[in-house]
Amino acid sequence: MRYLLSSICFLFLISCASYSKKNALVKEQINTVQVYNPYFSNEAKDYVYKADLQFYKRKFSGIIIIKKIAEKEHRLVFATEMGNKIFDFSFHQNEFKVNYVLGDMDKKIILNILQRDFTTLLKEYNTSTRTFSRESLNVKEAEVGNKRHFYFYENVGLTKIVRERKGKEKVVYHFLEIKDNIAQRILIEHKNIQLKIKLKGI
Amino acid sequence: MNKILYFLFFIAFIGGVTAQTKMSTQEAAVLKSKVKARADKTQFISSDFTQYKHLDFLSNDIESTGKLSFKAPNTVKWEYVKPFVYSVLFKGETLYINNEGDKSNVDMGSNKLFKELNTLVTSSIRGDMFKEEHFSITYFKKAKNSEVHFAPKDANLAEFIKTFQITFNSVGDVMEVKMIEPSNDYTQIVFSKRKVNKAIPDAVFAQ
Repeated sequence: MRYLLSSICFLFLISCASYSKKNALVKEQINTVQVYNPYFSNEAKDYVYKADLQFYKRKFSGIIIIKKIAEKEHRLVFATEMGNKIFDFSFHQNEFKVNYVLGDMDKKIILNILQRDFTTLLKEYNTSTRTFSRESLNVKEAEVGNKRHFYFYENVGLTKIVRERKGKEKVVYHFLEIKDNIAQRILIEHKNIQLKIKLKGI
Repeated sequence: MNKILYFLFFIAFIGGVTAQTKMSTQEAAVLKSKVKARADKTQFISSDFTQYKHLDFLSNDIESTGKLSFKAPNTVKWEYVKPFVYSVLFKGETLYINNEGDKSNVDMGSNKLFKELNTLVTSSIRGDMFKEEHFSITYFKKAKNSEVHFAPKDANLAEFIKTFQITFNSVGDVMEVKMIEPSNDYTQIVFSKRKVNKAIPDAVFAQ
């Protein structure tokens, strides 16, 4: 009985362990550091991606167009391949503005998810008060919209952002085929709902 | 001197505007019957196209190219080949989508918007959109060509499209379609290598 109790306690402790501990990340002793996401930072560039969204069994495809309009300001448009706009958002500092959204998508729950996902994706600068490392991996913890995020840096640059809650991954942003501050492929994967956003640079 | 420059500039500006003049009712009637007669005789259309998506905030328009195939009365296939592989086939009551090999379809019978879209796509390819009950129509002359602006009267459609602008060549074939959104962003489709009534194999319209 005592053995059972202690195993339960042990399991409880393990499951409550922080995200960094679970992943064997070692805390580094430094103060505030800058967190930088370079992938949508060039004002001279139009970032155009073929996009595939899967929400449970429903699939949507189209083009996602991202432009840095000014310092700390981005515009993001999702349109069908034939050019019809599905949504058009502006992100300015912490402000979010819907310029257009197609009737079917105009639901608060959908807009909230998209706002959160794209705010993290587009946020260029952030500050971190805790950093970790594991071999060549460098991880910086920072907040976006009051949610805890971990930024993973490898030799090629920023490869992953994880939104975490209670030690579990909620949303994972993967940056792949990185070259010259451009991620040719991006995958946004939700772990608690069946939502995947796949972007391929065109 | 400044005044002369100003005057010249003004003349040039007016000249630019008047390059596109409004048609008389008679001229408009001639164009309408020409296009209608051409559309009635059209069984097949195949054409290449270049699509330009213009968003005011972008530095450059987004360009894509592909092939269009049409079979009367209302089977249409838009096939994008660059910079992505994607096709939509409007056939009967179904819209077939092939997204880089991933196939799906939408039942248009149950979706009024898609049905309207199909009607619009078909009629804009043939140019046969002259329905006064659905659009406020304005006719312009532009050198040897004609340009017709269709502003939808239906509120649902007007929410997406402010005007359709179709450019016809002298024989009444559609050269260009421009769809202008209420925000003034637009999608422009320019046709090239257009072949009318050259039979297209059924395989092209297979799902």
